[in-house]
Amino acid sequence: MTGTLLFQSLVLGVLLGGLYALLAAGLTLYFGVMRVVMIAHSAFLILAAYLAWFFHQQTGMDPMLSLVITVPLFFAVGVGMQRLLITRLRPATITMMSVLLTFAVALFIEGMIGFVWGGTQRRIQLPYSGDSVSFFGAQIAVVKLIAFGLAALSLAGLYLLLKHSRFGQALRATIQHREAAQLIGIHTNRVAGFGFGIGLATAAVGGTALSLDATIYPSLHWHWIGPLMAIIVVGGLGSIPGAAIAAMILGIGQSLLQVPLGTTWAQTIFYVALFATLMLRPQGFFGGRLAQRF
Amino acid sequence: MLNASDARPAPGTSGRAPDDRAVAAGRPWGRIVRVAALVVGVALVLAFPTMVPNAYILSAGIVVVSYACTATAWNFMGGFTGYVSLGHAAFFGLGAYGTGLLIRDVGLSSFVAWIVAGALVLLVTIPVGIAALRVRGASFVIVSIAFVLILLLVFQAWGSFTGGSDGLVVPRPFPDLLRPEHHQVFFYLFAALLAVMLVVWWAIDRSRFGTGLKAIREDEDKAQALGIPTRNYKLVAYVVSATFTGLAGGMYALWFGDLDPIFQFSIMLGSYMVLMALLGGVRHLFGPALGALIVGSGLEYFKLEFGDTQLHLVATALLLGLVVLFMPDGIIPAVRALLKRFGPEDSSIREVTAAELLERNRTASHDAPSRDTASTTAAATAPATPTTRQEDGR
Repeated sequence: MTGTLLFQSLVLGVLLGGLYALLAAGLTLYFGVMRVVMIAHSAFLILAAYLAWFFHQQTGMDPMLSLVITVPLFFAVGVGMQRLLITRLRPATITMMSVLLTFAVALFIEGMIGFVWGGTQRRIQLPYSGDSVSFFGAQIAVVKLIAFGLAALSLAGLYLLLKHSRFGQALRATIQHREAAQLIGIHTNRVAGFGFGIGLATAAVGGTALSLDATIYPSLHWHWIGPLMAIIVVGGLGSIPGAAIAAMILGIGQSLLQVPLGTTWAQTIFYVALFATLMLRPQGFFGGRLAQRF
Repeated sequence: MLNASDARPAPGTSGRAPDDRAVAAGRPWGRIVRVAALVVGVALVLAFPTMVPNAYILSAGIVVVSYACTATAWNFMGGFTGYVSLGHAAFFGLGAYGTGLLIRDVGLSSFVAWIVAGALVLLVTIPVGIAALRVRGASFVIVSIAFVLILLLVFQAWGSFTGGSDGLVVPRPFPDLLRPEHHQVFFYLFAALLAVMLVVWWAIDRSRFGTGLKAIREDEDKAQALGIPTRNYKLVAYVVSATFTGLAGGMYALWFGDLDPIFQFSIMLGSYMVLMALLGGVRHLFGPALGALIVGSGLEYFKLEFGDTQLHLVATALLLGLVVLFMPDGIIPAVRALLKRFGPEDSSIREVTAAELLERNRTASHDAPSRDTASTTAAATAPATPTTRQEDGR
């Protein structure tokens, strides 16, 4: 492996890791506020990518403009989903039953995408699709840079929201200890609903970013959910910084392994990391008290 | 049947059919009806191959019985311990591919290969189970899905060994049989496998081991406090469940004769197992088989009517969602509750699950807000009802 190639895959790994980090942050939010493993997260990701494609198809405008519609829409769907579906489950079995419920949602989305838009592969062609920039000898596609920029901006926004706003404090309090949060006057149900909405909004952003440079098809979400779930376990369930760091490391690892092993085998790094984490440190590398119990 | 009570008083009373006797004394007809239903059911299953009009219906029947096998096998873990595995298709695929590869590469005869493949699945499950059960609930689900996804990747990518996406042809065990007779033999083989599973499930259900598993389902912390080796119990249940799933997969390979990673390591297959078991009722011996009959026939019908569209995904999704939201205990308890409303009240003592108890405590504590303390609401009222408060994740 030459130095340039190594550097190139390193940069690509960072760009990929950024997208993983944003999506894993969303997955962590659901788990944090409701103890829910949201299997449908990546299905919503693909749905957002399809909506971006459809938007581009119909209007001819840049697919990124579809964010204006999809982000509020997904936020509303997330709040609705938490209020109407997740809270109906019995608290005692919510972790297990929510997996099945969100799995059903994922299947529903996959089936409806296939029904409405057909099972063929779709791809957005943009004037700048083929462009790339040279960065210290590495050739980086512009669309990948834009996707990373979107992910990084949203992740930064999410960080600011969680750390420096009253709502963020309430959300983190709800994640840490729900009863205690209730006692100091936080409407934990409302906060949990908003947490769900924000999580789904990350899927809208990620899906739009994905649509810029990926070929999409209805069953693509299965290729995303496995790595994302591995990331949140490696990072420690419920820890957003942990998820982001694990996403970055595993994204870079996958990108580096792609050179000698090929795309398919490189994906196994997520599962190897998942099993190794559970054997060596079951609560994940950055997880706290919460992760030890799940 | 024998709705083996889910919350027996103590693990010490080895559960020698107290409910059976109670049923016999309280409702003398109950037992006779059950035995009659069992006999009719067995007779129907045995007579099915001779009654069908054509080979297609017979092969659809085999698919349904194989679904019943997988759903019952799933229920060893899902029903007893309450741990939902969405990735049981991994073991199905391993059993199928193990059988096929042992015949092709080692040259074992068909049914020896089948047994050996079952043993291999057993060995593979132990480390996977240890990893999956290191922590509770959420990680188990994640590992179970990850395992089927990783096997799909490996079996597709490693074409030189597994045949990859071209598929793997498994030689037929009875080459001189014609197709309809071949179907008939396999219908009985699947039915026999199902019978073995049902007997094992029934035996575990009434054993001390089964009581321990059910204690884990209702409240794992308390079960642990009572001295149940929860990790080992769960691991054994998981291994038994996976091994039976693997045997069902191996049998499928011998019958169908053509394997493809997409279909063997399919997350859909795993979700069908869960859906069937939940729909029928995970706490009941015949629940998963009943669910398999309903869902399996529905799937075959859908395939026939609508062909290869995405609609079966939507239909499965809607059915799964409805079952989870409105009937998480399954058809059998729902029907039984309906019957009970019209029958006489047979005793004043009622079984409650941990979930129902928590619900009741919640509402009770909302009615009496003065009792709210800094501890959880359920704990505040727990002294009044000194049983199972489910730790719901704080």
